[in-house]
Amino acid sequence: MVIHYKCPSCGSDMAFDADSGKLSCHSCGRQDDIETFSDEYITRTFTEDDAKEYHCENCGAVILTDTDTAATSCSFCGAGVVIADRLSGVLAPVKVIPFSITKEQAEVAFKKWCKNGLLTPKGFMSANRIKKITGLYVPFWLYDLNSEVEVHAEGRKVRTYSRGDYIYTETKYYDVYRNMDLYYKKVPVDASKKMNDELMDKLEPYHYKDLKTFKMPYLAGYIAEKYNFDDKELFPRVRQKVRKFIDSYIGSTIVGYTSVSYRDKRIDMKKDNSYYVLLPVWMVYYDYDKQEHTFAMNGQTGKVVGRPPISYGKVAAWFSGIAGTTFLSLKFIQWIVGAGL
Amino acid sequence: MIRFSPKPTIIFILLFFLFIPLTTTFAENKGFIEEKQKIYDDADLLSTEEIAKLESIANKYGKKRDTNLIILTTNDTDGKGFKKYTQDFYDEHLDGPNAAILTIDMGDREVYIVGFYKGEDYLDFDRIDLILDKVTPKLADGDYYGAMDSFLSLSYKYLNIKPGINPDFILFKFEAQIIISLVLAGVIVGLMLYHSGGKVTTTERTYMDGHRSRILNKRDVYLRKTVTRRRKPNNNSGGNSSTRGGGGVTSGGHSHSGGSRSF
Repeated sequence: MVIHYKCPSCGSDMAFDADSGKLSCHSCGRQDDIETFSDEYITRTFTEDDAKEYHCENCGAVILTDTDTAATSCSFCGAGVVIADRLSGVLAPVKVIPFSITKEQAEVAFKKWCKNGLLTPKGFMSANRIKKITGLYVPFWLYDLNSEVEVHAEGRKVRTYSRGDYIYTETKYYDVYRNMDLYYKKVPVDASKKMNDELMDKLEPYHYKDLKTFKMPYLAGYIAEKYNFDDKELFPRVRQKVRKFIDSYIGSTIVGYTSVSYRDKRIDMKKDNSYYVLLPVWMVYYDYDKQEHTFAMNGQTGKVVGRPPISYGKVAAWFSGIAGTTFLSLKFIQWIVGAGL
Repeated sequence: MIRFSPKPTIIFILLFFLFIPLTTTFAENKGFIEEKQKIYDDADLLSTEEIAKLESIANKYGKKRDTNLIILTTNDTDGKGFKKYTQDFYDEHLDGPNAAILTIDMGDREVYIVGFYKGEDYLDFDRIDLILDKVTPKLADGDYYGAMDSFLSLSYKYLNIKPGINPDFILFKFEAQIIISLVLAGVIVGLMLYHSGGKVTTTERTYMDGHRSRILNKRDVYLRKTVTRRRKPNNNSGGNSSTRGGGGVTSGGHSHSGGSRSF
């Protein structure tokens, strides 16, 4: 793997200076300690001997493995037509969260999850038709973001009281202003075209305490997908994601009003940093009723997401059960207080 | 170690307290008197067949509720007014047992309903008001039999509903119960379906850097206030108002509830 240290001051490549034991920049002369040099300015790229790349002829997926792991079929569409290719100069991930759930544990956890499905058909619950479980490192961008937020709003406090023959409604208006400097750390956005965004969002949260500096051996036995979008292309998505967080945070700072209407909300969001990371996902392919269902499991926490088949019989049973019980309870309360039936 | 589960005990105690009011009501021996006449049609508003029918209904309902359901009609209250007239009637004819009385004073065109003992507890002013809502329009239309029949059936219904509970409470309506049941089941099953594919468990706090995020500036400035007023909704407006204070104590010392309306 080739590691580039970019000078934080001028952007040129830095080199190790044996005399001072420090990274030094030939252009501007800046020197940095190699141990504490920020990840932000380190770029790693694969060399020919590090990794292999497979292209699926069928669905177009591009996956990476170490040179010892051979992919024989596409982990997305299952087609057996994958073409191996040497790769070099491709951007390598900065960090990785290694799998902490083994394949066996993943299978057990998945079966348990199936059994807990309250609306899934009986046959599905036995979970004995797992076709394939694949450990996949999904490319994500983690963003550190800084947002300056300025909000102008009108708050209203409404009070009603009665005096004499009249009911009075008193509305007090307030001018509300908030100026905040908000930081969000390591907000993940998946960089894979193949992976459903909604599904990947549900896999969160990953615990970042297990985030390790990427080394090739973590890939051994697993496959990794190559990122399809870079951090600039995905910035609108992370912006949209964090915008929701900011909106609800703003709401939480404006309290004590009956209603609030926003006149002006200015959110100036900047990227402080972004990291290319690989996060572990178990893909579970499951056959039920002649159809293949795909589920994803967080390879760190075991959380399962994906649309299970729905049994209409069970939906009907739950619906009528709840409706019936509620109705009888209401009738029972009515009978208890003696209001007839 | 003996493990004691408190749940059944609590339920038992609750049920016990719930039934106390019922048992005590029945324990007083001031109940229904079958042999007493129930319909006194001094104003001749009814036919003989109608009187016989109402007698049998009053007896059937009264017996079940342990309360004498009485109907009085008169053209003239001997100058006493319908209230005193009804009180004196109770002292003279009943003097003690549970009763609900409908007095129709054709002279003053007033209708008056009172409740004694169980009748007083169960037919408070609000419930009497509800009965008058049904009875008065029929009287105004000259449908005396229908008015009396409504009085009997509503008294029968209300005498079975614990005092203090609004008999028209929305949750006791069949349609409301059906709708609530269906909506609740729909919402719960909908949520189950929605969450069957996994839930989003991150919140706005998950990725927030609490150490560095700061509120730089905040302001909540009071600007102005507006006050609007509207007249209180008046239930007693128009011609169908019931007169409060229809209750009282008879010369014989029997306390009663009551409400009246003109028709």
